[in-house]
Amino acid sequence: MLIEIGHFALVLALIFSILLVVLPSIGIYQNKSSLAQLSKPLVWGQCFWITVAFFVLMSAFLSNDFSVKYVAENSNTQLPILYKASAVWGAHEGSLLLWVFVLSLWSIAVSIFSKQIPSNLLNLILTVLGAVSFGFLLFLLYTSNPFERLMIPPLEGRELNPLLQDFGLAVHPPMLYMGYVGLSVPFAFVISALIRGQLDSSWLRWTRPWTLISWAFLTVGIILGSWWAYYELGWGGWWFWDPVENASFMPWLVATALIHSLSVSEKRGAFRQWTVLLAIGGFSLSLLGTFLVRSGVLTSVHAFATDPARGLFILIFLFIVIGGSLALYAWRYNLLQKNNPISLFSRETGLLVNNILLVTAMLSVLLGTLYPLILDTLNLGKISVGVPYFNAVFIPIMLPAVLVMAIVPFVRWKKDNLMRIASHLRLYWLGILALILVARIILTDNVYVLLSIGLFIWMLVHVMVLLISRIRSKSIFSLAFVGMLVAHLGIAVFVLGATVTTQLGIEKDIKMSVGESHNIAGYDFVFNGVSRHENKNYRGFKGDLTVLKDNKEVVRLYPEKRQYQTGMPMTEAAIDPSISRDLYVALGESLGGDAWSVRIYYKPLVRWIWLGGLMIAIGALFAAIDRRYFLRIKS
Amino acid sequence: MIFSWQMILMIVLSSIFLAWFLYRPIRVNLSDEDSNIRINRQRQNELASDMSLGLIEEVYYQEAKDEIIGTLASELKSIESNNVETKPLMWSFIIALFIAILSLSLYSQLAPKAMPSSLDKSIEPLSLSESIETLKDYLIENPGDFQALKIMGLAQIGIGNVDESIETFESAYLINPADIDLLLQYANAIAASQEGQFDGKSKALIEEAFILDPQSIQVLYFSGIVAAHEGNLNGAIEFWQKALYLMPEDHPDRNTIEEALDTVLNLQVK
Repeated sequence: MLIEIGHFALVLALIFSILLVVLPSIGIYQNKSSLAQLSKPLVWGQCFWITVAFFVLMSAFLSNDFSVKYVAENSNTQLPILYKASAVWGAHEGSLLLWVFVLSLWSIAVSIFSKQIPSNLLNLILTVLGAVSFGFLLFLLYTSNPFERLMIPPLEGRELNPLLQDFGLAVHPPMLYMGYVGLSVPFAFVISALIRGQLDSSWLRWTRPWTLISWAFLTVGIILGSWWAYYELGWGGWWFWDPVENASFMPWLVATALIHSLSVSEKRGAFRQWTVLLAIGGFSLSLLGTFLVRSGVLTSVHAFATDPARGLFILIFLFIVIGGSLALYAWRYNLLQKNNPISLFSRETGLLVNNILLVTAMLSVLLGTLYPLILDTLNLGKISVGVPYFNAVFIPIMLPAVLVMAIVPFVRWKKDNLMRIASHLRLYWLGILALILVARIILTDNVYVLLSIGLFIWMLVHVMVLLISRIRSKSIFSLAFVGMLVAHLGIAVFVLGATVTTQLGIEKDIKMSVGESHNIAGYDFVFNGVSRHENKNYRGFKGDLTVLKDNKEVVRLYPEKRQYQTGMPMTEAAIDPSISRDLYVALGESLGGDAWSVRIYYKPLVRWIWLGGLMIAIGALFAAIDRRYFLRIKS
Repeated sequence: MIFSWQMILMIVLSSIFLAWFLYRPIRVNLSDEDSNIRINRQRQNELASDMSLGLIEEVYYQEAKDEIIGTLASELKSIESNNVETKPLMWSFIIALFIAILSLSLYSQLAPKAMPSSLDKSIEPLSLSESIETLKDYLIENPGDFQALKIMGLAQIGIGNVDESIETFESAYLINPADIDLLLQYANAIAASQEGQFDGKSKALIEEAFILDPQSIQVLYFSGIVAAHEGNLNGAIEFWQKALYLMPEDHPDRNTIEEALDTVLNLQVK
């Protein structure tokens, strides 16, 4: 009966979302305050029923209720309890339920932490969020019901995809969804302002902290995905320009542009049209990404055709959200036209340049992601757009963005002079040049690495100069300022880590017999053999390697080759992590006798990639909790 | 269609919850006007702070300040409106009716028309060991059931009884030696019992599977492993490349084969 209650709770959540759209709208239109103020209780009620449904499904997984089709297809009795819980969002239906669950949490957060937002605006924002959740709940109930029963329950469930049997599944999708779905909040702010025709200071002020928080979650979600892929797939890579990865990266790029654009719109009242478009674009891309990934379109164009109901629903929903928003934008365009003048060289222009570069980068990724799909759909042939395209197009666009990023915080609002900046910073620039030359002499002659070292020093020096000048002026440090410094430094740390590990990393595929040793980057890897290994839900082989440096043991590594119930082997890499380098070993195939193929990687500064990402997210959170958002000023 | 008392309770709770807030509405935060005045005043303070930090020139400070004041002036045009009273009883009744009718009719449309037979009993799924025992009992009555034997072999592998699984697979093999899935699982079990070595009977079974279906992705994958074991790297490459060619792009095992192929290709280069 519990499953039916979960199903019914979802139905009630759908009814609440309908009421959330209808009742506050009537209240706002007819000036019936008590109806308009129902938006908050409706959001709470909706969240309650979605939470009930979510935990009912989780309990079905934990209690091995294989009478539920979704559970039977994605879990079995041998699955460890953590993976059973995270298997809830391991496939399409459950991940959509997670989507609406996260959306309801965001709606609750907006309803609780928005005491300084005018009630009229807040009620409409919650109504827009209710409309979005209505679309998703309808999609969930009509095409992707996770509570569907099997008439004859199997004795045992199927295997959860072995790749997903990992801690990464427990944390990566929820974080990513917090980011994806979080972008619905700035979208709702913008749509509400457009509907009301009051594009005033309130929505601009309160959109930014919500955008920053969702951007921080999106950043954490992306870096968790990268870290998971790194240790789980056994290739030693951290980013593959895979379409699924791109689907999360595109909204991140637009959200990055949005938080910068919002700062100009909020402070100087400029770029309002642009800000509105970015808010719409960010959420539309996150919708596009979610649906492309979940409909199967990205991995196979034909998966779309196999379920026409889902495909059609997706297209209609996307059309309504994107088309409707743009129509609203066009209708209210006149209200957005008022702009304060800015000069060619000013902080506003710098941020605009940064925005243009970010959006161009996003478009290049969008093109590379969708172009093969479009060709395939139109039966114009199959092409593969891979790493070479993205590296060739994306990096040259982002390089000037990083350069601009260091300079813009020094540029004044309204109007400034390039010579003033140059005279202020020229000595530091000479110092940076000297440091790059030193790096060239003592570290490496690799051009890309030198360039990334240069960018890192460039950012570091500028951040330090900003910090010192702010300390000297004895002014109060705002969290927004600290957040900006940490996030910008995070970009520099990321760029250095990504370039060094890509350019100076070493990869070797070796045939190793017991007792054999290979030297890689100054480390001796001694192969001690392979033994059988078993666990509750898999069995396989465990390699044993001793890593020595200068004849002293550094670490013993135990890479595994696992075989789950599906029969196909899985590689479980063994990693010795450190801040300066990772030693990464993956066990390949048995080559007869006691010989095995072994893949060994030396990855310098690879941890800096995720450290940089973490710094970016922390910086965003600092900026989101800046005191200006909590100040109460008497009117 | 089953409607339980729990569902009725859920509807009643939802209706009471909303009615409560109709009778006791949540207090209004603040007006648009108040909000904009506060924010623009704060913007002025921030502008002054920016000037003290040298983030805006004095010449442009006044201009920016005027812009803020101008913005505020344009925003203070909100239309005064009087609140219209609502009738909580009427609205509570409408909402309750709406929730009840719509939720029950939607649910009756979405829920299965008949419930699974086992739902009346409390579902206690069997563990793998219990499943094996059940299958053993079943096989005493039906010793010739090929599918049951195959499932039992798989379950025995699942709990690590490799030797028993080999015996079970052998029984299934005697009934139907032309089932590719069985041949591969059987070969796999034998290989597991001999330290992962695909030789002897294990190899013979994979060869049999290859004769039956040389286009099967699984068969090609295992044939590649056998070739690699024998040091025949070219053979392994050929099998795996063919498997990849036949595989759909989104096949979950694609990565595994690509990885194995990369390893062997790299070994060949060296």
